[in-house]
Amino acid sequence: MGSAYLVRRLASAAITILLIVLINFLLFRAMPGSPERIILRGVPNVTLERLEATRERWGLNEPLFPDQFVSFLQATASGDLGFSFVARGQTVGEVLAQRIWPTLILFGLGELVAIVVGLALGAYSGWRRGGPIDFVGNGVSLILYSAPYFLLGMILLLIFATNLGWFPTFGMLTAGATYSSPVDRLVDFLSHLALPLATVALGLIGQYAIVMRSSIIETSSDDYVTTARGMGLKDSRVLRHHALPNAMLPTVTLVAINLGYVVAGAITVEVVFNWPGLGTLTVEALTARDYPVLQGVFLLLSVSVVLANLAADMVYGVLDPRVRT
Amino acid sequence: MASPLRARVFRTLAALLLLTALLVPGSAPALAADGEPLVLRAGTDQDLQVLNPFNSVVVADFEVYTLNYDTLVGWGQNIEPVEGFAQSWEQSADGLTWTFNIRPGMLWSDGEPATAEDARWTYQLVLDGQETTNGYLGEGYLDGYLTNAGVTSVEAPDAQTLVVTTEFPNTLLLQAYVPILPKHIWSQYTIEQIGDVTAEGFFQNEPPVVGTGPYVAVEWTPGEFIRFARNDNYWGQQGAADEVILQHFASPDTMVQALRTGEIDYVRGVNGDQFDALEGVEDIATVEGFANGYTELSFNTGGTKEGYGGSTPALSDVAFRDALGYAIDKQALVDAVLNGHGVPGDTIIPPFHTRWHVAPDTPRTFDIEEAKRRLQAAGYELNGDNRLLDKEGNPITLRLTWPDSESENGSIAPFLVEWFGELGIEVDAAVTEEGKLIEDVTGPPAGPANYDIYMWGWVGDPDPTSLLNFFRTEEIGGSSDSYYSNPDYDQMFLDQRAESDEAARKQILDDMQQLVYNEAPYHILYYDSELHAYRTDKFANWQNQPADTGTPLFGYGPWGYTQLTAASDEPSPAPSAAVPSPGATSGGEATPAPSGGDDDAAASSGSNTILLVAGIAALVAVLAIGLVMMRRRSGVQEEE
Repeated sequence: MGSAYLVRRLASAAITILLIVLINFLLFRAMPGSPERIILRGVPNVTLERLEATRERWGLNEPLFPDQFVSFLQATASGDLGFSFVARGQTVGEVLAQRIWPTLILFGLGELVAIVVGLALGAYSGWRRGGPIDFVGNGVSLILYSAPYFLLGMILLLIFATNLGWFPTFGMLTAGATYSSPVDRLVDFLSHLALPLATVALGLIGQYAIVMRSSIIETSSDDYVTTARGMGLKDSRVLRHHALPNAMLPTVTLVAINLGYVVAGAITVEVVFNWPGLGTLTVEALTARDYPVLQGVFLLLSVSVVLANLAADMVYGVLDPRVRT
Repeated sequence: MASPLRARVFRTLAALLLLTALLVPGSAPALAADGEPLVLRAGTDQDLQVLNPFNSVVVADFEVYTLNYDTLVGWGQNIEPVEGFAQSWEQSADGLTWTFNIRPGMLWSDGEPATAEDARWTYQLVLDGQETTNGYLGEGYLDGYLTNAGVTSVEAPDAQTLVVTTEFPNTLLLQAYVPILPKHIWSQYTIEQIGDVTAEGFFQNEPPVVGTGPYVAVEWTPGEFIRFARNDNYWGQQGAADEVILQHFASPDTMVQALRTGEIDYVRGVNGDQFDALEGVEDIATVEGFANGYTELSFNTGGTKEGYGGSTPALSDVAFRDALGYAIDKQALVDAVLNGHGVPGDTIIPPFHTRWHVAPDTPRTFDIEEAKRRLQAAGYELNGDNRLLDKEGNPITLRLTWPDSESENGSIAPFLVEWFGELGIEVDAAVTEEGKLIEDVTGPPAGPANYDIYMWGWVGDPDPTSLLNFFRTEEIGGSSDSYYSNPDYDQMFLDQRAESDEAARKQILDDMQQLVYNEAPYHILYYDSELHAYRTDKFANWQNQPADTGTPLFGYGPWGYTQLTAASDEPSPAPSAAVPSPGATSGGEATPAPSGGDDDAAASSGSNTILLVAGIAALVAVLAIGLVMMRRRSGVQEEE
């Protein structure tokens, strides 16, 4: 991979992240209502002196530019995102750290399942266009693509948890359970994971299958595929070695771009299944006006979207030599 | 690269298959086998982020510490004083000194002796909180219990005696919701580390918590759940639950489903629709209790006076505010906004306080014509455009607002716009961000008092004093948001606070409620209901607190938890009839709905079936569309 390409990508990602930090700073300072009132929310008998003392203590009397912005930049750079209003005594960093793993596990696995199943389904449907798999697969893909996450989640929950009782309705582990062995713990975890994971994966499978299918159909009429067939190669070999690598390109972009939407989906899936990840955290922080935590979540999510796109650019470079210059 | 990729894909697929295989057999974990602890799981929509009592804000926070710790005086079924950390108490003849007798031989959950010195240390800590840079401890909610009672000093002459001196005679000390903390744990921390979340080494009070309550927290996943284990050193009656788990839910819908499946035993924080859907479900009882609070329409009674930002002097006129009270159909609001789960409001002490609430002598009814008559009698005229004019001849336009955190208030607004509109008053309704609103409605000199009328609610304490406080003149600039000022009221507030005789105090409270009702700085729109539901197949003897108007859990103190029995211990036929609970026999608001019969169960599973069928129908429909689309495609590729 050309180093110029790499440097260009890295530079543009760095600039984007800086802009995000600036927007994050401005956005939360443009909110109506005064921060000292939020800090003192509900405290009876707030006096003028107390308000003033609070403003002083939190640096709210300093001018926004440059003083507040500079200290914000310094703090953000050093990983200090401040204290959560709601999780008393915990820093935003600590709060995020507790919640990031459940989200990573759920959506990491969900993406993985969706990529494998979705791409396979899409590739096969496209290759055997008009066949029974294509017929069923495309129909199902359309439904899944169009169903909102919360609806899909709620339907799965009603059927498999409430009615059939196969899976628990909420959480990541049974609260307060004692496990006789790590295997028990794993089983408990997996049974909690099943429905939210299915929701995430099903939602994504539809999209990936549809894109992959059309991409394969387009590729399958290309000259080099015809040539490969003409050379008498086995059909499956033509698909895997000739058609697939080229058809993968649009899907890589889709997966990367999707990360942003996955976050939006995360909120609803996690809320439906009470999954203790960043999605539920965002909703809770919004309702409780926990601005420092919201600020932290925004920063984390937007930076990860930038990084995912950076990663996609890299993968693209590997897959398609033409973009490496 | 094709071959390794293929191998990787294969390995990944194999791993996933293995995971799936692990999932399918057994599926839901069978953890509640014999010999397992009997666990009470209660769901709440509130965050569980607090174990240090001084940071308590929401109801769930208070529930947490009331399980961990005793208050000096406890709470009985009807919120009456019962023994707590102290066994008994007496007030001196001049009413200024309280002597509490601390139970001998009492132990903290870690085995250390619990004595009067712990109580003294805790109260002194709260008093010292006034001297910190913040002026209060933590979130500032607990300090008022001692300051309102006028506590000046606290001493522990011996291990069994606590002496508290107050500035004026009163009985509020018996209602102090301040947990008694173990000195041997908490005194290791500075007052800043206890009260200030940003202090270096802030004390979160992480489990295992040491307390004297019936249960102590042993496990905590912030924001998710807190698990409490039975405190073997507890001095009083304990309930059947070996463990209590308070579980947070981000979505009340999911919480309700978890109650249906039996994964949790109790829910608090469901809305009217969800509550109605649970009524009659087998093994589930619903209970509708009064909330200790109300939702009000507040007037800027300062009007256009110096320092106040009202838009018309009419706001300061009792007759104007009184007339508007006839143009509010409170029952319609209860029906439309609360699904009927509430009662129309009147006086400022909600009916939750059965001992203190009084209905108005001259209640206002919904009568637009009467409102018009009263406005006319008070000298308010309509102009040619049918607009009501204030005494300065200007058409009255009232700005109406409410906090963005309260969606119910937003639903009320259109009603008020219409009703007041019929009187010729234009209402300019707009929501305000909560933080900004708090600033806007703060009175002079601390704030601009910049509003005309606004909606919000208050939640009370076990004692009504806090709900009476914000109509006092001295609270203008503080907690007063109507800027109501009446010397008679101010005097009565002090009189009732110092009155130890219940009947005499009740008389004063009656007068105060009537006065505020008549002068109408607030129109109390409604008293909300607390909507709870619980399962009857695991625990029995659910008791409401108070018996007539309350709910079994999330009340005051751990009383409801200590009354629970295991459902399996009940005689098998008709378990609900075996132990007549006051709640079940009292009738009225708080009666738990009896478990439904087969009809109800069929109805509920019926609705689920409909959902299922609808889902399948949708699936088929989309498949059909897919089919049509596919048929239209040309150039179908040949099969291999």
